[in-house]
Amino acid sequence: MFADELKTLRRLGVRHVLLQVLNFVSVLASGLMIWKGLGLVTNTESPIVVVLSGSMEPAFYRGDLLFLTNPTDARYQTGDITVYKIPGADIPIVHRVLETHDFPPNNKGAVAASPLVQKQYLLTKGDNNAIDDIELYQGLEWLERKHIVGKVRGFLPYVGYVTIAMNDFPQLKYALLGGLGLLALIQRE
Amino acid sequence: MHTVYSRINNVSAMLSTCVMVLLAAISISSYFLVADPKGSIAVSSIQVFPGNARRYANKNQDFAFVNFNVTADLSPLFNWNTKQLFLYVSAEYENKRGVKNEVVIWDRIVRRKEDAQLSVAGRNKYAFRELSTSFKGAAPAHYTLKYNVMPYVGVLTYGEAARTADPVPFPERQELS
Repeated sequence: MFADELKTLRRLGVRHVLLQVLNFVSVLASGLMIWKGLGLVTNTESPIVVVLSGSMEPAFYRGDLLFLTNPTDARYQTGDITVYKIPGADIPIVHRVLETHDFPPNNKGAVAASPLVQKQYLLTKGDNNAIDDIELYQGLEWLERKHIVGKVRGFLPYVGYVTIAMNDFPQLKYALLGGLGLLALIQRE
Repeated sequence: MHTVYSRINNVSAMLSTCVMVLLAAISISSYFLVADPKGSIAVSSIQVFPGNARRYANKNQDFAFVNFNVTADLSPLFNWNTKQLFLYVSAEYENKRGVKNEVVIWDRIVRRKEDAQLSVAGRNKYAFRELSTSFKGAAPAHYTLKYNVMPYVGVLTYGEAARTADPVPFPERQELS
């Protein structure tokens, strides 16, 4: 079945295979670098997320791509759409801020370097949900800044559906990865 | 050289490049199609009653009930890249301990330009409660109508369409008879 491919591999030699492996690894590495660099610039751990649930419909549907930032010079406001992650929950949630409560800086002579340092309580709600998110907080009464991954700044529809499809049908993921790897190895240029 | 594979490759690369450029152009066009519509908001009555919060069934706390009137023509916000508007009325006030609060009491999603002529005599949709359980000693609150323009593709923008001219004080708590 793969006799032809094996033959070409043998013909091209170890050196060529190593070179292709190197190419492949450098593509992966630059992808990681771009991702982490974006994370540094936008100050969030994951600058791009895919919507996984319908709780923000009709604004966001499953598979829409969201671009997050978490600027150090801005507080969260009502109406902002935040992505938060409750400790212990494995999936980050995209919901809109319903209430903010900003506590005054405690007077110990210290000045907060950024509004993000000051204590703020948040309550969120999904546009498509009838009630707020207290039940989702797993015992927490309020959301705090440390739970927030970032706020949504940009929107691109549908594109993220690829990842959802890959999660729903793992075979697709392996087929894609395997195909790409094979292609990278036996490509001639 | 002109294999089926390379043809498919070229066509799909061309197609995706074109789509990307088009999407980028559409999202950039939003920066030039700006509008800043203004409306008015007025609070007709506020009442404060004690009640039980959802979380602590046996803990009494104050709930404010706000009746308000909103009129605004937000149709200029609709351009070819506007998917929907998210409108919300929020109360902004400072409580006795200096905590600055912003609480959304009402919201509405507007998906068509025809529905953007807003004339609402409404009351709060969501529970309006105080962090310290009592509105006593809280400073008068400003009420604002804000909007979030959500595009088909691109950047989300926010704006404020109306704000009460003077802050509205919270009344004394009324006991339930």
